[in-house]
Amino acid sequence: MKRILIPFVLVLILSVLSISAALAQVETRVRIIEASNVGSNIDPSLRDITDQVRSLFSFRSYRLLRDETVSLRPNQPIMIPVHPRRSLELTLIGEQRGSAEIRVKIKQDKTDILNTQVRLTPGRTVSIGGPKHGQGTLLIALSRL
Amino acid sequence: MKRECSSVSKLLDKYFDHEVTEGEKSLIDGHLPDCPACRRTLQSMENLRTLIKRPVEEAAEKEVFPWVWEKIERGIRETEKPALWDFLRSWLNVTPLLRRKIWIPALAAAAILILMIAPLLYVKISSHPALSVVEYVESETHNVMVYELENQKVTVIWLFNGLEEGASTS
Repeated sequence: MKRILIPFVLVLILSVLSISAALAQVETRVRIIEASNVGSNIDPSLRDITDQVRSLFSFRSYRLLRDETVSLRPNQPIMIPVHPRRSLELTLIGEQRGSAEIRVKIKQDKTDILNTQVRLTPGRTVSIGGPKHGQGTLLIALSRL
Repeated sequence: MKRECSSVSKLLDKYFDHEVTEGEKSLIDGHLPDCPACRRTLQSMENLRTLIKRPVEEAAEKEVFPWVWEKIERGIRETEKPALWDFLRSWLNVTPLLRRKIWIPALAAAAILILMIAPLLYVKISSHPALSVVEYVESETHNVMVYELENQKVTVIWLFNGLEEGASTS
């Protein structure tokens, strides 16, 4: 009986550990976009975002600069370069009932130009924009997968 | 004869109660046909017993002994109703499959399955649509505005760095 029971207990423990590890990390899609009025080209992969923000902004062109999916783990910041002088820092603070709390910092020359904390639920996109980028404006879209 | 009668009459009580030895019984059986006095004594004992026995039996037949029945019924219940653990054990031993104690690994497998499924269900069911998406926002260098359109699930944090940038928004 012990020969059967011990492997089962081990499998049980490993399953619990793997589940807790899988639940601890949050997959987040980061899209960095240049929105401008130069031309009228809209990147096809940004249709979901442009449909959402069309009522708010009058930009005609949306160009995808970077599309990345990151795995956020609690209290482990992830840096994403946005521009030679700017960077985006994402930190998973916690997760409660399907809602991931993420701290977002945008740094420019080692200065925090934005420090915010958002709740990301699957299917919800949070966009951060405003800083100048080339001939347009920088827009960062965060979506939880 | 008189001496024999005297010794037999002393044994008549025991004879009546079937407590005499074989030798004593032979002696009395041999003496009784020839001794009317001893026969009368024995007959009177018989009469006395009949006299006492009949009313006692009649009284016993009429009498109900509830405490006796209670005791008997309790005894029947105890024999019919096994303990819970005995019941479970007998139930688990109902098939040869369960008798091999496969149910222990089966329970472990069920526990694993529950642990794997339960968090996923929990995540799917629970959500907080009513809570604000932006918990806090601060900037030392820019003016910040937060747009939240709940019906379109849109949240935008916009950094303003002066009037010229604000002009680009509608």
